Amino acid sequence: METGSAITWKYPSCVLSGDDSVGEFYSVAVTNNRQQADTGTKMIHLGKNTRSTIVSKGISAGRSQGTYRGLVRVAASAEGARNHTQCDSLLLGHECGAHTVPYIEVRNPSATIEHEATTSKISEDQLFYAQSRGLDAEAAVALIVNGFCKEVLQQLPMEFAVEAQKLLGISLEGSVG
Amino acid sequence: MLKIENLTAGIEGKTILKGLNLTVNAGEVHAIMGPNGAGKSTLSYVLAGRAGYEVTGGSVSFQGKDLLAMAPHERAAAGVFLGLQYPVEIPGVSNLMFLRTALNAQRTLRGEKEASGAEFMKLAKAAAEALGLPFEMLKRSVNQGFSGGEKKRNEMVQMAVLEPHLCVLDETDSGLDIDALRVVSEGINRMRSQERATLLITHYQRLLDYVVPDFVHVLIDGRIVRTGGAELARELEADGYAGMAEAA
Repeated sequence: METGSAITWKYPSCVLSGDDSVGEFYSVAVTNNRQQADTGTKMIHLGKNTRSTIVSKGISAGRSQGTYRGLVRVAASAEGARNHTQCDSLLLGHECGAHTVPYIEVRNPSATIEHEATTSKISEDQLFYAQSRGLDAEAAVALIVNGFCKEVLQQLPMEFAVEAQKLLGISLEGSVG
Repeated sequence: MLKIENLTAGIEGKTILKGLNLTVNAGEVHAIMGPNGAGKSTLSYVLAGRAGYEVTGGSVSFQGKDLLAMAPHERAAAGVFLGLQYPVEIPGVSNLMFLRTALNAQRTLRGEKEASGAEFMKLAKAAAEALGLPFEMLKRSVNQGFSGGEKKRNEMVQMAVLEPHLCVLDETDSGLDIDALRVVSEGINRMRSQERATLLITHYQRLLDYVVPDFVHVLIDGRIVRTGGAELARELEADGYAGMAEAA
């Protein structure tokens, strides 16, 4: 969960050295105003049949730029390694940007690597729908953003998930209207 | 309850409503019929306050208050409900979560107590059952993977839980098979009461066989050109809008 500083570079990583070891990376990065975040992970597969999962959700608002940068490296020793990466970006407004930069280095032909990426914008239709049911503009955005991050937020313990939702709301204050 | 006077409105500089007058009293059901492009959906969006729709003249008062001065969520809390022609999908947000957030936002704005989890679940279960929508579906993301008919039923579930004073239903009958049309119509009829008014916006007379309106208005080119009782809808069905436009 990253709401960060003016400029953030952050890549917490896993080295999967033992056979059958598993690495998981779930992240939500929110940027607003003029923030720049360049975040992601490195999954270094060394052992046999190692598996990793990356789920990254980026939300950019205001005039901010969000970048996902992730390395998946499969060493020659990592027979049967598998990775699945899912990288979704959500844009609020038309002055922000989202970028996805996957690095994939595979030195073992038995590896299975998947990378999925989407970029979407909160639609006028969604905002109006929520507003017409009684939510003000900020509550409507917060609700839609929380839905977008659900796969990551549901990995968190209950207490932290509640805090994370509030933090999302605060980070995006003033991003609509 | 609702008084629209000489309303002109449009989108992107294009005038669509050109001096519309309409008065709806509590307890009444009004149907607005008209050809494509007459301004039916524009009227519903203007009433709900959708961004991008610009009111250039006239007034709309709702229960004595200036509706046009209110933000969309304030209109909802005041009791205006818009059933959409194309209900929107919101991934990752369950129908229950969406509806409970909406209900409590409205109650908070009205200075009422929020619904407890148990109270809300009771309301939602009763509404889903009455409309033949499996309760399990309400646990899924808002309208995601719902068929056209299920989306419309879901709108009716929301309407039943939110208990608005004015129900504006934009083409609620479109895309419904005959069974779904009956269920949705029953949903609308159940909501009829002395304190509530309904505005049905529709192309076809079909819906009006099930929900019999007190008044039928014909909207052509941004104006109401004729008003009558339920029999007017049948006349339209027989003669079409073309004859109506000439007569006007």
